[in-house]
Amino acid sequence: MITCSEFMAEFGDYLESEVPTKVRQQLEDHVAHCRTCQVICDSTRKTVKIVTDTRSFDLPESAVKPIVDRIMAKIRIGQGS
Amino acid sequence: MSYLQEVDLGGTFPPFVSFEEHFGMVPNLFRAQTLLPRVLEGEAELMGAVLFKDSILSRIQKESILLAVGVEYQSNYCVALHYQVLRSLGVPVSQLDQIVINNRKAALSTSDAALLDFAIKLAMRAPWLSREDIELLRDRGFNDESILEAILVTSLASFLSTLSTGLSPLPDFEPRVIPTSNHTSPPKAAYVGGTGGPYLRAVERSPESFPPFAIFLERFGFIPNLSRAQTLRPDVLEAEMELFGDVLGPKDVLSHLQKECILLVAAATNLNTYCVADHCEMLHIMGLSREEADQIALDHHEADLPKETKALLDFALKLAGRRFRIGSEDIDELIGHGFTEEHILETVAVTALNNFLNTLQMGLGTTPDVKPRHVYTLKDALPALAEEYPAEGTQIDPDASLVAKVQAGDLEAFEELVIRHSRRVHRTLVGIVGNVQEAQDAFQETFLKAFRYIGSFEGRSTFSRWLLSIATNTALQSLRERKPLESFDEEDHGEEFHPRLVRAWGDNPEQLYSEAERRELVERAVMRLPSKYRVVLVLRDIDQVSTGEAAAALNLEITTVKSRLLRARLMLREALAPHFATSAKRMGL
Repeated sequence: MITCSEFMAEFGDYLESEVPTKVRQQLEDHVAHCRTCQVICDSTRKTVKIVTDTRSFDLPESAVKPIVDRIMAKIRIGQGS
Repeated sequence: MSYLQEVDLGGTFPPFVSFEEHFGMVPNLFRAQTLLPRVLEGEAELMGAVLFKDSILSRIQKESILLAVGVEYQSNYCVALHYQVLRSLGVPVSQLDQIVINNRKAALSTSDAALLDFAIKLAMRAPWLSREDIELLRDRGFNDESILEAILVTSLASFLSTLSTGLSPLPDFEPRVIPTSNHTSPPKAAYVGGTGGPYLRAVERSPESFPPFAIFLERFGFIPNLSRAQTLRPDVLEAEMELFGDVLGPKDVLSHLQKECILLVAAATNLNTYCVADHCEMLHIMGLSREEADQIALDHHEADLPKETKALLDFALKLAGRRFRIGSEDIDELIGHGFTEEHILETVAVTALNNFLNTLQMGLGTTPDVKPRHVYTLKDALPALAEEYPAEGTQIDPDASLVAKVQAGDLEAFEELVIRHSRRVHRTLVGIVGNVQEAQDAFQETFLKAFRYIGSFEGRSTFSRWLLSIATNTALQSLRERKPLESFDEEDHGEEFHPRLVRAWGDNPEQLYSEAERRELVERAVMRLPSKYRVVLVLRDIDQVSTGEAAAALNLEITTVKSRLLRARLMLREALAPHFATSAKRMGL
């Protein structure tokens, strides 16, 4: 059975589904028996999902046109048209 | 009347009860399959999970995909069915007629129009689909769950149209006139092969707690990447497993070897590198040499197979590729080789299942489970035209025509590019700079630089990636000027981060807050991360670019990006834990 430190060393790749099958099995065995790593693993995945889904820092639809108009005005001035 | 006879399964046959409930009748397509009730049971599971179940996409959006793809496939049966379903859901006839004649001119919202464009590309030009097409949907506000649904519904359209071509049921409703001009010709763009993903986020599921994965492990010794890529919808994976079991499991009609050969030749005609590699491997496990399996994929006529099996594979190949009409003479030929109607029905079902899987795989872009012995290329796709196309490996750029217009002096085309990319560039800049006002200055600067240098843009990367690197550099420059003490470039010292809060989170923590509250919590927590961690997290989890692309944009080693990303995610988890851990809301946190 691998240790918690060994689990954390592979955890980044595990989250990205980038570990070989054998290592994945070892990590899953560890999680099945270690409550702390199980919670960290589960809550980190949920963190990523929340961050991905909230579309943070999105530009509101209503703000797109004025900001685009400003850029295009600058470009047109620069072009002399 | 279909090519095959029907038997009466009674009014209480569960799949028919389900179809009655959701279509208001049992479509002839399913009545045509009553010789094998188990196949209908599997199909009803899949229809239930992908089409009938309430999910993010509405039934109208899903049926519109089925209609638009049915039009592209020139499937009179599917078009008549989905047209009528949409009518019964209240969609105006004028809009439906427009989707049939030319979906691009239909009065749809920009997001629904993008959804149909995506589905049609996946259905008709799957090998040319790339991550960029997924990004276009994300930019129209679709999250990964809804994009996965769009891919699943398009795959279902492929499944249903293959069944209807193979079985030829009478249309349930008055057929519509389908214009042939909608038929899409092959694009003049490089072939990428559909294994450049996975494009969508997935969650890890353990075989110990998720039965479909346990079954894969037990039977094949591995869990296919195609299944791992769908874990956002475990219910669909369970339904797929039922369908696999009902169609591929039994050997009372076709043998396992015959079914696997059908899957292999059909995947090969669809140029699906991933599925061909898997089916070759399965045939090898069944006892064929790798060379024999390769030969079946390449040309089954030259393989050491009985002549009846070759005739069966001819039929499957014709059906899978959609290039030819299936007629009663094809059915008669199979009967002449000694096959029964049950054999023919099962062949059609296996081929339809193959087309479902091939479409799904190309939509998700999963990397092969085993090293492919043959990677399908442009030359396989269009041998006669191969030389006219760009070199293999060149990425497809959905912005290419707009970029060319800008390079020829068209300012309106540039305005369209700015609109198209404004939300993504804004996200990147605010996330990296950490301040809305400064980000707006950087926003303007990014697009002015892009305009200034677009003449020298040669298309070595996509426009979107090129713009991302301009935005990232502009933002980093702004960050460096403002905060010389907090260095983004500072090296990592290998210090470990130890999580402190280890209280479990509930099953759906996001439901504890409204969308606006969630966004505020996330934005506040992200802004508080040290910049070197924040930048990586913004690119990877908010912009959803790959690790390699983030490394290239930031001029960092991939290993550095990976370690900073993990650290950023753990720090963010720590910051969000008081709000999302079990009972957080109850405690008034």
